[in-house]
Amino acid sequence: MSETTHPSPGRSAGSQFLGSEQLVLALILAALCIAISIAAPQFYSEANIIAILRQCALVLIVASGMTMLIITAEVDLSVGASLAFVGCIGMAALNATHSLALGFLAALAFGGGVGLINGLVATKLKVNSLIGTIGMMMMLQGGVYLFTREAVQNHHHIAAFTDLGAGYVGPIPVPVIFAAVIFAVAYVTLRFTTLGRYIYAVGANEKAVRLSGMRSDRLKLFAFVVTGLCVGVAGMILASLMNAGQPTAGRGFELTVIAAVILGGTSLFGGRGSIVGTLLGVLLLKVIDNGIIILGWNQDLQMVVPGVVIIVASYLDIMRNRANAS
Amino acid sequence: MPADILHAGESAGTIDQTMPALEMRGIDKRFPGVVALDNVDLTLQPGKVHALMGENGAGKSTLIKIMAGVYGKDAGIIRIQGREVDIKSPRDSLKEGIKVVFQEIALISEFTVAENIFLEGYPTGKGGSIDWKKIRNDSAALFKRIGFNVDPAARTGSLPVSQQQMVEIARALAHEARVVVMDEPTSSLTPNEVSLLFTVIRRLTGLGIAVVYVSHKLDEVFEIADTVTVLRDGRHISTKPVGEHTNDTLIQDMTGRRIDNLFPRQRGPAGTKVALSVEGLSTAKKLKDVSFEARAGEVLGFFGLMGAGRTELAKAIVGYDPITRGTITIDGHRLAPHDTRTGVGLGIGLLTEDRKTEGLMGELPVYQNASLASLGSFARLGFVDKAKERKAVQEYVDRFRIKTPGLGQKIKNLSGGNQQKVLISRWLMRGLKVIVVDEPTRGIDVGAKSEIFALIDRLAGEGLAVVLMSSEMPELLGLADRIAVMCEGRLTATMSRDEATQEKILNAAIG
Repeated sequence: MSETTHPSPGRSAGSQFLGSEQLVLALILAALCIAISIAAPQFYSEANIIAILRQCALVLIVASGMTMLIITAEVDLSVGASLAFVGCIGMAALNATHSLALGFLAALAFGGGVGLINGLVATKLKVNSLIGTIGMMMMLQGGVYLFTREAVQNHHHIAAFTDLGAGYVGPIPVPVIFAAVIFAVAYVTLRFTTLGRYIYAVGANEKAVRLSGMRSDRLKLFAFVVTGLCVGVAGMILASLMNAGQPTAGRGFELTVIAAVILGGTSLFGGRGSIVGTLLGVLLLKVIDNGIIILGWNQDLQMVVPGVVIIVASYLDIMRNRANAS
Repeated sequence: MPADILHAGESAGTIDQTMPALEMRGIDKRFPGVVALDNVDLTLQPGKVHALMGENGAGKSTLIKIMAGVYGKDAGIIRIQGREVDIKSPRDSLKEGIKVVFQEIALISEFTVAENIFLEGYPTGKGGSIDWKKIRNDSAALFKRIGFNVDPAARTGSLPVSQQQMVEIARALAHEARVVVMDEPTSSLTPNEVSLLFTVIRRLTGLGIAVVYVSHKLDEVFEIADTVTVLRDGRHISTKPVGEHTNDTLIQDMTGRRIDNLFPRQRGPAGTKVALSVEGLSTAKKLKDVSFEARAGEVLGFFGLMGAGRTELAKAIVGYDPITRGTITIDGHRLAPHDTRTGVGLGIGLLTEDRKTEGLMGELPVYQNASLASLGSFARLGFVDKAKERKAVQEYVDRFRIKTPGLGQKIKNLSGGNQQKVLISRWLMRGLKVIVVDEPTRGIDVGAKSEIFALIDRLAGEGLAVVLMSSEMPELLGLADRIAVMCEGRLTATMSRDEATQEKILNAAIG
C-alpha cells in the first residue's frame, strides 16, 4: 500500500495515481465496461455515462469520508440511517426558514453532530465503533419516525434547492461536481498533508502515535466528524433528488459505501488504503448496477453480483500481496 | 518405547541409549526467494541437552518446525534411533515422540490447566466418554513430579504468562516423549522460574530424553547444555561440546565476525546538569513513591525482576500512563502528567519495550516511521515537504547504517535491530533532552546488540540523559553510569557503576 499512497519518486504520474494496488481493480473495471458495451452498445452513450456518474456521486461523497475513517481503523455503520434523517431535517429547516444556506447548515450540523457523537463514543467511552455505530444506526432509524412519520414535503420551492440534485453545470450534473470537489479535497489531504499522514499513522499504530506526542483521539474524532459532514452533504442532495425528506431512504446505503471502500483496497484494520481505490470501487459497483439494467437482467442481481465481486476482488488482492511478498 | 514421565520408573530403561535419539542429515528447505536451510545436520543424543543457537534468520526455527512436522523438508533424511522416518505433519511428529514447546503460547485460555495438558488426546473411559477424573489426577501427579505448583483446575487464561509457559512445557511431557524441543523457553520467566525449568530439564535428561534448547542467552546455554550447534544464514557452522566454547567463540560462530567489546564506551563522564527529576511518583497499580534524578550525558540504568515496575515507570515518566501522586520535571519544566504531547514538547520520549504494538507502524514505510515525531518540522502550511523529509531520514539511515532496501520499504520487513535503529532515529530527528529506553535489545541479534549499545553510548555522549530499563544485568553493568534497582514498584537501591556487582543488584531486586 505504501507504494500506492506514497509512491517513490521516479515513477510515472499515471502509475503514481493508480499504483499497483489499484491496477487489478482498474483492469476489472475496464474489462467490465468493454464486456457490457459489446453486449449493449448504448452503454457508451453520453446520457448513460452521465447517469452512471450521477449515481456514483452520493456514494462517493460519503465514501470519501469513510475512507479516511476506515484508514484510522474505525468504521461508521450509521451513515445510511443518518442520510435519511439528514434529508428530513434539511427539508424541515428549509420549509421553516426558506433559506438554502440555513437548510444546508442544519443538514451539516446534524450529520456532523452524529459523527461527533459516534467519535466520542468510540474514543472516550472506548466502545468499538462497529458496535457503537450500529447503536447509532438503530437510534436514528427509530428516531427519524419520532421526528416525522411521513415524508417531509417541499413547501419552500426554492429553485436552487432543486438544482442540488437535478441541476447541471454544462453537461455535468451538480451532484457530480460536489462529489468531485469532496474527492479532490480528500485526495490532497490524505496524500500531501501532515494531517493525512497522521490519519494513516493512527490507523497503523495508535499507541506509537500517542507516544510520539500526538492526540490520537482527536485524529479519530476528526475522521468521524468529516464522515458525518459528508453524510450531511449527501443527505441534502438526496432530498433534492426526491424532492422530499424521506424517512425510509438510505436503507443499505452504508453497505454500499463500505463495500466500495473495501473494494478499493482500504484495510478494515487501518493504516492502509487509498482514496483512488475508493473511486474505482464506487465506479465498479455502479457500472455493475447500470450494466444489469441495460442488459435487462433481473434487478435482484444488483445485490448478488456486487457480493461476488467483493469476494473475488479481495481474493485477488491477497494473491497480489502474496506474489509481492515472495 | 519413548519415556513416559508419569511412569518414569517403569519405562525409562526402554530408550536405547546407544543410538542417537534423532538424526537429521542434509536437511534443505527453501522458501520463495530464500534458502532457509542448506544441507544442515543435527544429531541428538538421548539424555543430553543440545543447544541450538544462531541469530534471527539463521534457520533455528525452520529446523525445529521441520522436526515438529509444521514444515516439510525439501531434501535430507530424518532418523529416529537409527530408523528412517517420514514426518509429514505435526501428528506424525508427536507419534514419534517429538514434543516442541513453541515460544508463542498455544494454550486455550478458556480451558482449565488440566484440559490443556491433555488437549492432544483425552483419555477415555467406558463408552468413549472423557475420563475427567484421570485427567485431573494425572495432571496433579505430573505437576508434583516436576515440582510445579499450579492448580490443575485453574482457568489457564487466569495464570500469569510465565506459568502458562510452564503449563505448555508440562503439556509436552504428559504423553510419551523421546525428544523435547524448547524454543526460547526463558524469554518471559523470572530467575526463580528459570531455575525451576532447569530442574525440569535435568529430570527429563535423567529419563533419557533428548532436549533441544533454542536460546539467545549465552549464560543459560553454558549452564544447561552439553552440546552446542550454531547455525548461520541457514548453514551449519559448528557442533561442539559446550566446554570447548567461550562467550567470544560462540558469538563469533553466530555472527561470523569477532566482537571484541560488546560495550564500547566512547563518551566522556556524565554532566552535572539535571535533565530529568522525578519526585514521589506513584501510580494506581504499581509504583510507590519513586524519586530520582538523571543528568545530561548520563546513562541511568534501572534493574528489576519481572513485575518490579520498570515498564510502568517508563510509561509514567513520559506521560503515557496516568499517575496518582508525584511530580516529573524535565529540564526545569513540570510535565503535566498523562500527556505525551507536552512530554514530547519538553523533550522526553520513550523507546518502547514492545516495538510491535507500541512503536512500529508495520504497514508504513521506513521513512514515515522515522519522521513520525518530527513531521511538523518538514511541513509548510500543513503540507509535507517530502523531499526534505526523505533527505533527513536518509541522513539517519546512513549514519546508523540502517539496512533497508529503500526508504519506501515497509518497516515490518526489516530485522529487529534495524527496526530499533529506525525508532531511535524517530526520537533523534525530533530532538530530545531525555530518552527513556525500555529493554532496547529484546529480540535483537547479538551482532546488532553491540550496535544498539554503541548508539545508546553515543546518545549520552551527545548530551542526552538516557534512562535505561533492562532485565539484562550485563547490559546495565556495561552501559550505565549509575544503576537504580526496583522491587515491587519501589526504588530499593541506587549505586554507581563502580560499586555495582551482580550480587548487590540482585539482593536489592529481591528486596
